[in-house]
Amino acid sequence: MLSNSELIRYFLLEAEDYVNTLVEGVEELESKGFDKETVESLFRATHTLKGSASIVKLEKITLLAHKLEDLFEALLNKEIEYEDTFLGYIKKVINSIVNLINEVSTFGVEKSELDKELVDIIDDILEKKEIPLKSEIASTIEVLPVTNTVRIDLELIENILTSLGEILVQKNTLTDKERELLEIIEEISHSGKRLLKEITDFSDRYWLSAHESGQKVTDSFFTDFGDLQFDRYDEYHILLRKVQEITNDISESMKSLLSFSENLSLSFKSISREINYLKDNLVEIRMIPAGKLLHRLAEATRDIAEKAGKIVEVEIRGAEIKVDKPVFDSLYEPIIQIIRNAIQHGIELPEERIEKGKEKTGKVKIEFAKEGKNINIEIKDDGRGIDLEKVKETAIERGIISSDRIPYLTREEILSFIFAPGFSTSEQTDYLSGRGMGLNIVKTAISKLKGTIEVFSESDKETTFRIKIPQSLSISTLLVFRSSKLEYAVPINYVEEILSLEDFPDAVKEKIINHKNRSIQVKLFSEIFFSSNGKKLEKGYIIIFNFSGIRRGLVVEEVLGHEETTINSFGKFLEGLTQYLGYFISGKGIPRYVIDPLKIYEEEFVLTPSYAAFIEPISYKGAVLVVDDSISVRKSLQNILESKKIRVYTAKDGNEALNVLENKNVDLIITDLEMPIMHGYELITRIRKDPRYRDLPIVVLTSRGTKKHEEKALSLGADGYIVKPFDDKTISQLLIKFELIKDTF
Amino acid sequence: MSEEIKKEKFYCVFGIGEREFLIPKDSVVQILDITRIFPIPGSPDYIVGALPVRGKIIPAIDLAKIFNIERLGYSDNKLLVVEAKGEKLGILSDITPFFVSFDPDIVVEDFIDPDKLFDQLKVNSKKNSEKSNA
Repeated sequence: MLSNSELIRYFLLEAEDYVNTLVEGVEELESKGFDKETVESLFRATHTLKGSASIVKLEKITLLAHKLEDLFEALLNKEIEYEDTFLGYIKKVINSIVNLINEVSTFGVEKSELDKELVDIIDDILEKKEIPLKSEIASTIEVLPVTNTVRIDLELIENILTSLGEILVQKNTLTDKERELLEIIEEISHSGKRLLKEITDFSDRYWLSAHESGQKVTDSFFTDFGDLQFDRYDEYHILLRKVQEITNDISESMKSLLSFSENLSLSFKSISREINYLKDNLVEIRMIPAGKLLHRLAEATRDIAEKAGKIVEVEIRGAEIKVDKPVFDSLYEPIIQIIRNAIQHGIELPEERIEKGKEKTGKVKIEFAKEGKNINIEIKDDGRGIDLEKVKETAIERGIISSDRIPYLTREEILSFIFAPGFSTSEQTDYLSGRGMGLNIVKTAISKLKGTIEVFSESDKETTFRIKIPQSLSISTLLVFRSSKLEYAVPINYVEEILSLEDFPDAVKEKIINHKNRSIQVKLFSEIFFSSNGKKLEKGYIIIFNFSGIRRGLVVEEVLGHEETTINSFGKFLEGLTQYLGYFISGKGIPRYVIDPLKIYEEEFVLTPSYAAFIEPISYKGAVLVVDDSISVRKSLQNILESKKIRVYTAKDGNEALNVLENKNVDLIITDLEMPIMHGYELITRIRKDPRYRDLPIVVLTSRGTKKHEEKALSLGADGYIVKPFDDKTISQLLIKFELIKDTF
Repeated sequence: MSEEIKKEKFYCVFGIGEREFLIPKDSVVQILDITRIFPIPGSPDYIVGALPVRGKIIPAIDLAKIFNIERLGYSDNKLLVVEAKGEKLGILSDITPFFVSFDPDIVVEDFIDPDKLFDQLKVNSKKNSEKSNA
């Protein structure tokens, strides 16, 4: 269990809130008189304050809060009538409480004596006795502040953060400009040096030749002074002197320019540092120590354990770690869900634990830790662990994965199935845990915070959930890369590593790499986004993503570095482009699209909530294979078709389409013409060659509207030809034509 | 459509190929020279790309793709920025757009209602699944 001093720290964090509520409530009573709502909030605040203080055994605060609670309760129940004279006493009690809290915060204990007289007065009020009207208890008592804090409206902080976001963008622009300036200076200084060298060389030569042409005098002392003709000032001479002087001036100026730019760079650096510092501080303003959450968690855990008949000890670490307010608000539910699971399904009953030779008391450890810009939360229990075999069975049973894929999956990938919708390994279901839907909700909640969750487990030993979320939501750190002359970014919190493509020469061809004993599937960014062939790609990088335990690679041409910025949303008009999270404009005025890396791999992810179809098998009216290289076409067709209860398989090109045909029963093929690897014409030809598919209807869906293409497609064996764009109606008519659905008009 | 037109008096005229279109003057935000348009991969073909303006991007729409207009080369391209449903949209114009006014009774042809255009061309969203878990 937590040590008392640690608990006191959490108590202090909370107490401040309660005192603030009390102060506000009393002010309200003062200005408005008796108000039921205000007294209710006062009652609640004193009640929780009493509870929290009693946990940490601060008896005096407990007693005072208790008295106030009784008083407010009596007022609420109309047992006693509210009088303005109460206010002075209430304030006095609050002051005593604040005083004690401040003592606890400084010395760790309650120092001052309890004001017996004051307690008696409250008792008197409660017992409806005459209150001695003492003049010293004027209603003008100022309530003491709790330590050194100010309350700020959240909206104000939001505003500051927004303009800070803008400042960061400007700062990035400045940094880019500075780089340009340095380049220009370098160029000037380079040319300057060349000029200087030329002039010096020339003048050296000139003087030399002038010497040689003169008399052969060996003693320069006499020649310099003796021969006036030698020092003759002809035009040449004058020009040369002038040029030399100017060159010297330029060279001096160059030196000052250099030192100036160095100073400027230094100033830039220090202003950058200050802005970063300011940013960190500002971001922190909105942050709340995790400890505040932990207090609530500890209490809830006790409740759950009690109900489940288990003995559980909670250990909490990292209470001082600060979390952004919105993140904080959405963290409680997912964490409590994991703890619920741990206690109900993980930790064994006391008898079972003793049988296994474990300690009778189960342990749940919650640890907050900061890692760069991220917060890591680890929730560990020493229960029975997750049964990997059972996970496999259930995953197959629920249709989350087909059994033939299992051998290819890593342990981590199999474990991650527990986050899939409708998954549960425990036979017993109960209302609190909600039939294993719990972990899916946890994952969704964490994803909303742009975070990831991973699970590790050792049978009969322990289960660990590791959550990683960005510390702040308003400013994101992004990895910027370039592909096909456009610039993109991905949130860095998904990025685990960046590898050089040179170390994995087969990555482009094989679409899989072996790294750190894991085989990681790889996609080519240029293929996904431009359907261009990545064959020519020799140099490049592989970005390794870690999506809650599932690792995937993305090959990009060039990595430009990372940047901290605020992401703009695409707006309503473009919101359908769900592959993007938004965009920001670089310092050079180039838009950088922020990619949602999850979307790149979502088609093969069985864990996304869109696979909810697996939970309740729908009776499909037929199956359609959609072949198109554009993900948006595939997705929109899939949506339309699925809404008509049609099973949809998708393929990016002809090759993939043929693979699908081998394994699935398909009633209709809708294919594009232009596609990488194998285009539509070839696909049609190949399908028609196979006797199995001779009568399989094929419809071409293309943006090529000319008769020539249509004729060619039909002659190869296509049964229909639709020119994009398409809509629900077009597709309905198509399905009716090929008798997949009935005409409902 | 005619009852809406009655309220309108001033129009902005822009051209695509040989055709001209009218759009209410009130909806016009600005007319930009096209310097550089950045394509948005994955967007429909009528969205030519994005034009960055003051830290934000404006999507540039080519109506030639919508109305199936043949174009004789991109000549004097301008981007007519209009506001529809609170957002800025850019429409490619082959001529420099200009303003005209008509008698309210005249029914104009080739009239474009920005809000309707917005709804018609809005990129289809596919979110349908995630809501249930919210």
